[in-house]
Amino acid sequence: MTNERTVEMNVNGRDYSLRCEPRRLLSEALREDCRLTGTHVGCEQGSCGACTVIVDGRAQRSCLMLAVQADGSNIETIEGVGADSETGHPVQIAMHQAHGLQCGFCTAGIVMSLVHAHRNGISRQDVTKEVLNGHLCRCTGYVNIRQAIDAAWVELEDNK
Amino acid sequence: MKDLNLYTGKRIARRNDGSFLHGSGQYTDDLDPADMLHAAIVRSPVANGTLIGFDVADVPSTATVLGPDELAEHVVGDLPVVWKLEGQWQERTPLLDTHLRYVGQPIGIVVAASRALAEDAAEKVILDIVDLPIVVDALEALAPDAPLLYPDSNSNVLAAFEAGDTEDHIEEVFAAADRTLLTTIHIGRVHGVPMENRGLVVVPSPSGSLIITTSTQTAHAVRDVVCEVLGKRQNAVRVVAPDVGGGFGLKDHGYEDEIMTVIAAVVIGRPVKWIEDRNESFLTTTHARDEVHEVEVAFDFDGKLRGLRVDAVRNAGARFSIFGGGPLFAAFGVLPGPYKWDAIRGYGRLVATNTMSTGAYRGFGQTQAALVRERAVDLVAEALGRDPIDLRVQNMIRPEELPYGTRTFIEYDSGDYQSAALRAAELIMEPAWPEDGKVRGVGYCCYVQMTGIGNSDTNRAIGLDIGGFETADVRLEPDGTVCVATGVSPHGQGLETTIPQLVADELGVNIDDVQLIWGDTETTPYSAYGTAASRSIALGGGSAVLASQKVAEQIRQVAGTMLEASPDDIRLTDGAATVAGTNVSVLIREVAKRASQGFGMPEGVGPGLHARHAYDPPNATFSYATHACRVAVDVATGEVVVEDYVVVNDCGVMVNPTIIEGQIHGGVAQGLGAALMEEVLYDNNGQPLSSTMLDYQVPVSASIPDIRIEHMETPSPFTPGGMKGMGEGGTNGAYACVVNAVMAALPDADNSTLHTPLTPARVWEAAQKRKQLD
Ligand code: FES
Ligand code: FES
Repeated sequence: MTNERTVEMNVNGRDYSLRCEPRRLLSEALREDCRLTGTHVGCEQGSCGACTVIVDGRAQRSCLMLAVQADGSNIETIEGVGADSETGHPVQIAMHQAHGLQCGFCTAGIVMSLVHAHRNGISRQDVTKEVLNGHLCRCTGYVNIRQAIDAAWVELEDNK
Repeated sequence: MKDLNLYTGKRIARRNDGSFLHGSGQYTDDLDPADMLHAAIVRSPVANGTLIGFDVADVPSTATVLGPDELAEHVVGDLPVVWKLEGQWQERTPLLDTHLRYVGQPIGIVVAASRALAEDAAEKVILDIVDLPIVVDALEALAPDAPLLYPDSNSNVLAAFEAGDTEDHIEEVFAAADRTLLTTIHIGRVHGVPMENRGLVVVPSPSGSLIITTSTQTAHAVRDVVCEVLGKRQNAVRVVAPDVGGGFGLKDHGYEDEIMTVIAAVVIGRPVKWIEDRNESFLTTTHARDEVHEVEVAFDFDGKLRGLRVDAVRNAGARFSIFGGGPLFAAFGVLPGPYKWDAIRGYGRLVATNTMSTGAYRGFGQTQAALVRERAVDLVAEALGRDPIDLRVQNMIRPEELPYGTRTFIEYDSGDYQSAALRAAELIMEPAWPEDGKVRGVGYCCYVQMTGIGNSDTNRAIGLDIGGFETADVRLEPDGTVCVATGVSPHGQGLETTIPQLVADELGVNIDDVQLIWGDTETTPYSAYGTAASRSIALGGGSAVLASQKVAEQIRQVAGTMLEASPDDIRLTDGAATVAGTNVSVLIREVAKRASQGFGMPEGVGPGLHARHAYDPPNATFSYATHACRVAVDVATGEVVVEDYVVVNDCGVMVNPTIIEGQIHGGVAQGLGAALMEEVLYDNNGQPLSSTMLDYQVPVSASIPDIRIEHMETPSPFTPGGMKGMGEGGTNGAYACVVNAVMAALPDADNSTLHTPLTPARVWEAAQKRKQLD
């Protein structure tokens, strides 16, 4: 396509320079151009939350953002979370221990939102009552994801 | 027999979570083979019409278009329907038909360098369609002057069948009963909404063989269909199910658009990917239910349930899905539930309309059966002024009466239905009700769920054209690690953990040394179902136990030779074969090495340690549960909140209680969704009104309360290992339980007819409409 633009972004600490059509979604750029397929697309419409990534410190639905809008951004995807530790981020550990995932398709988006909330000290109550309701999971009935939130927030709230 | 139980029954954390938590799962859309092209599907914009033109003149030359004529050149047969009911004339369904019968029906395929370009090109295809009159509602489709979906046939009824007792017998029982009650239940059309949509990547090779990677529950069944309709040899087509983001029954067969993708890859000679988007999923991935049940129940003044008679019409959609009218047939089979009846009769009709096919969805008819029966029982309790649990327990089959043959020719195996019901009632009543002026009610559902469906001859007897067995292949590699190949195909159910739990115990090895292989027609035994119908742990697990027992015997034989002891005295624990009562032992990996060398093998064993077992069960298994919940209803808005939820569940021997609880949670969420909010709707022109996740409401966390679960554990008398299977049970229980609770909260509301989902509008209306007292 002739109208491609250059998009420079840093994803999980690595610099990418991409040529994208203006209509290319950030989710598509991450999955297809950066080959970071851990970010999933469930609706391409902003409803399900599966595509959530962290853009310049904010949790964003990557299907609702154009890649060109992310030019110059620092992005974190599921592949970057907990990569610096042996056991993973406390949210990842808690999700595993509480059996907070089944098919795993919604998981990356939920983990990204929870990691963002965890880092920003959002209260357990708000995470359970607000943040989690922005995600759809068809497998778990959410019960064990709430358990995982409880577990991951214990330490956080104890430190306050 | 296993010598130690180290893993079975333990809450072992799932072994494959890591890839999902770190983004390294491999779903279909994550594949990117070299040279790949992308497809978009051209679909019918109308609900009924004849396609007379498919004009590609405006399509850019960078895209390849295959219309109905080009596609038809590659097709040798129509799509199979594997379940044939009495009086069913549609035994295959038309593939590539130019009679368009529902919005979204695939017509052609466009292939280009990217999905966006393929979609752009697809928009340039000009369709010429002659409109035909449309019928959407199944009852309207029964009218004598209704438009006919298949003009060659004289009615829209695709099949009509009877189940259970004869008309004479049911008449007799109803005449003798003290009283009868009538109710009409409309069961809304739903969509399973797996979070990952369908999709496939087809890689052709110059030799003519194909590798198809697809988001499916059942790789073998996809291969069956592809080879059947395209005339390909099964040993040249490999179907692989990679990580799959949920199925719930929807991904139980190969779809027409998927077959088009296969044809496109063959024609172009390059890999082609097609990934369904959410809108396409709502339009063209099988829907479910959409039934109207006229229900009549007969009972005595002392509370004895006498008879249940159901006349049900199911909207089949424009054509049968692969399991045809099976869900309604299955519903009638389990209609008796845990109660003793003098007569049960079902009369079912499957009706064609200008809508998407309805097919399998978690519960496969058993969810509807639970609603129909449990509503009827609640109406009886209300009519008699009886406590709903008390009346249920009075009529339940007692433990000493099991095994018990129902009026629908099913034999229940084992359990204690009464204890589950009483315990659930106790638990749900424990917390005090808040005193905030809200209207509240408690609802129950007691069900017996047919799981572990088989055996093969029973399938044949009920018109189901596929086998009921599962096969496992267990082998020890020369280093002592274990590979278990299974025909079942996990996509969230945790079988990667639970089947190795069973195998590790049988072989006395560490679970870390056991690897499950699934979802690949090249490396796994044939399975007609894959993972579906709550069969996997009973049949996939059962076959793995039996194959492992054969391998364990081989290990004992070889170890006996190595240790100069009798194989009967060898115990397999902790990775070692030990002579009982001594500390004389050899590591199992040494035994595996010896067997792989073939040195000094005992008579009839090896070389190698390897066994395969096809397990065709003597009977199906029957899980059961009582669900109980408390709801609060805001009568001003019709809004329902499920505040508390209890499940007392018995699925036989539990391999991993944590995974069972996870299945219950997810099942309850889906049953609750269908009870309160989920509904696929069409307008009168057959245009879909629920084609996004904003229109079709799936429960969010706020909709689902915490769920209190207690287990009972009555082993299956049949399954090796005693497991019964349970994946659909949560859905079966929750649907009726939530509906009953809402109706219990509105004791004065007119309940002569019911329409699910109980949306706020419907609840508000019911609350306004007082029942007529007779
Ligand atoms: S894919 Fe972005 S919200 Fe669903
Ligand atoms: S784990 Fe399957 S959708 Fe959430």
